[in-house]
Amino acid sequence: MISAQGLFIAFFGLAAVCFGVAVFRTSSMVRSALALLFSQTAIGAMFLSMQAEFLGVLQIMMMATEMSIMAIFMVMFMMDPGGLGKMEMTHQKGLSLISGSIAFMAAVAVAVFVDWGPGGASPPDAARQTRELGIELLGRSMLIFETAGITILTAMIAATAVAIQPLKRSGDR
Amino acid sequence: MSIELLSALVTGAALFGVGVYGALSQTNLVMIMMGVELMLAGALVNLVAFWRFLHPDTPAGQMFVLIVMTVMAVEMAVGFGVAIARFRARGSVEMEEASELKG
Repeated sequence: MISAQGLFIAFFGLAAVCFGVAVFRTSSMVRSALALLFSQTAIGAMFLSMQAEFLGVLQIMMMATEMSIMAIFMVMFMMDPGGLGKMEMTHQKGLSLISGSIAFMAAVAVAVFVDWGPGGASPPDAARQTRELGIELLGRSMLIFETAGITILTAMIAATAVAIQPLKRSGDR
Repeated sequence: MSIELLSALVTGAALFGVGVYGALSQTNLVMIMMGVELMLAGALVNLVAFWRFLHPDTPAGQMFVLIVMTVMAVEMAVGFGVAIARFRARGSVEMEEASELKG
């Protein structure tokens, strides 16, 4: 018998996959970015269904911002952002489809055939979870957390350095 | 194995498969990044499912999710930096036109 939690997980999971497929099926770039935003939001809702409240809210907030920026970039950089010209923007579709299907089937096979052991008890409430996560991040996993922080700072500086327009010298045309 | 864990893992697998298809089939750099985002999202779903249904009393499981979210943000930052540089140099981010990057 499937529980209410299982139903919510299945529903939001199906929504995430459907919107994920829609990302590559529409020719409008804005629709594509919005489909990815909805897919990520459905994943955030899945996290909420799995009682990971902090991570669910974080996922929804982070992805809403990220996908809005992505939509702006897509409109800037695509040759046909509205998809009105029906431009072909794919290649090696058959090979990609086979690769994606193999990846999916392999992951499902692992999920089905591996013995995951006995399930755990119910998780602590949201406040205690967040407190324990904070203690974990600033205690035992401090080095990993700091490394992640430094990595993202380095990436921001590197991305800005790559993207910045090079200065033209006075002799250059 | 509970049905809840199985449905979360199948969702993660489907997102990963769709992401692989997108990353391999698209010619535009930003669309390729979307495929990679979907693959990472599949990994996120699996991590949260493992934490919730196998080890709910271990906060290290949630910490892994935060690290994958960091990887997603880094991928976006570097990808957009490269896209801007490429667009400025060649006027396009179509990867079909980036044959000079071949070894």
